[in-house]
Amino acid sequence: MTSYISLPMYAANIDQRLRIIAGKCTNCSIIVYPQRLVCKCCGGKNFDLTPLSGLGELYTFSVLHGGGAPSEFDYEQKMTGDVLCGIVDLFEGPRVMARLADIDSSQLKIGLKLEAVIRRLYDQEGILRYGVKFVPETL
Amino acid sequence: MIDVAVIGVGQTRYGMFPGRTLKDLFYEASREALDDVDKGLDPNDIDEAFVGTLSTGGAQLGNFAPLMMEAAGMVGVGARHVENACASSGFAMRDAVSAISSGSADIAVAAGVEKMSDLPRERNRLWLGISGDVEWERLAGTNFAGIYAMMARRHMFEYGTKISHIKMVAVKNRQNALENPKAQFRSAFTMEQATKSPNLASPLDFSDACGITDGASMVILARADLARSFTDQPVLVVGSGVGSDYVAIHDRTSLTKLQGAVDASVKAYEMAGIRPEDIDFAEVHDCFAIAELLSYEDLGFCDRGKSGIYLESGITQRDGKRPINNSGGLIAKGHPIGSTGTGQICEVVNQLRGRADTSARQLANVGYGLTHNVGGSGAAVAVHIFKAME
Repeated sequence: MTSYISLPMYAANIDQRLRIIAGKCTNCSIIVYPQRLVCKCCGGKNFDLTPLSGLGELYTFSVLHGGGAPSEFDYEQKMTGDVLCGIVDLFEGPRVMARLADIDSSQLKIGLKLEAVIRRLYDQEGILRYGVKFVPETL
Repeated sequence: MIDVAVIGVGQTRYGMFPGRTLKDLFYEASREALDDVDKGLDPNDIDEAFVGTLSTGGAQLGNFAPLMMEAAGMVGVGARHVENACASSGFAMRDAVSAISSGSADIAVAAGVEKMSDLPRERNRLWLGISGDVEWERLAGTNFAGIYAMMARRHMFEYGTKISHIKMVAVKNRQNALENPKAQFRSAFTMEQATKSPNLASPLDFSDACGITDGASMVILARADLARSFTDQPVLVVGSGVGSDYVAIHDRTSLTKLQGAVDASVKAYEMAGIRPEDIDFAEVHDCFAIAELLSYEDLGFCDRGKSGIYLESGITQRDGKRPINNSGGLIAKGHPIGSTGTGQICEVVNQLRGRADTSARQLANVGYGLTHNVGGSGAAVAVHIFKAME
């Protein structure tokens, strides 16, 4: 059983999910990601689109064991054992919750430097859903 | 504004009841609430009803409230469904209070019900994860266990809160539930057992979380000036406040407080004309153990970051200065989502009237009692304050 995120709903913000495009408020210049219709800071309603670097630091995290993650991730949990989830403080300012990958859970710690990659999340209605995951920064 | 009083409360036992239906749970709670109005109440005199539920499983998503009221033999009462995830019936209470205080109703009902045990495990996990910001939080691979776990990790990082503080919440609440005949988990639970509990979403373990629960509860309210014609022991709703916040926790400035709870409690204290230190006991929303610690700080019971030490001091134990979750809380009494808010009020009202179901559970010092009901990870919070009518 997966939570229903319709294809139009998913497709509507594909730029955010696959190209990590944020909004920059034309009034106060704050960067919002995920994009918003109304600025969190000043209430402004106009944003310029701006791509993010995808770089950031781990702000907090959890390792979800069997039964901890939503059921659409069961197939993955069967393969990998755990689902790694975190909130990343992005270099440009906003924070976002995302999956963490390519790292052993014992290596996770607050402040870890990360970078965004595009990975498969799960499939629904026969369509693969891709999105951002964060992996240790490779400089 | 017109003063509002509780004239009757009722709650089913909480637990897993595969053989029971939404309708008969709701009926039982309504029966107990009506019987609790000791001078009697004709259901036809109820003006409005507000019924909280998440409607887990989706068996009845439309016209939920009229169907429940009909099952309880209260057909004809203007009824509607109130939904704010786990704070559904806390907000139903708020709406019932508003209906009376605004003068549009003389008698109103706030109720809640949830039937979670019908679903297979994976479908329950679907329903338990639909109340975050689904597009972003859920696609990030988590539901509320992971979300509260990430808040807990931040609290530990920022304030030095220990795993043992988190575990102490569950141990205290399980201990409190031993004497509560309506609680779901009534077996002794020690710190040693808590440390052996399997991991759910680090740093939280299974014993730091709620179970799957069925149950219903109802609160009957009346204009305070009419209350004594229904009961000799009315309980005044002296404070009522609600608050909201960003749904996704990544959009919040701080992960170690629920701003919605702070806002709701400030409004409730202001309405009651009291301060946090005036609260004698409370039922708070411990959906995960860390949430009870956050509540101590959000409600102003202790300084920011000091909730672990506050708990450790024993103040919030049954025999402490300010008992918290004397019922067992969500962790041990149970958390049938839609029923939780009004279920908390049943406990507080019974304590204020000196009518705890067992004498071992009756608190001695009960001037002001508070309820704190949180939707999701803090997107919606309802706080109410009660005092026995003099």
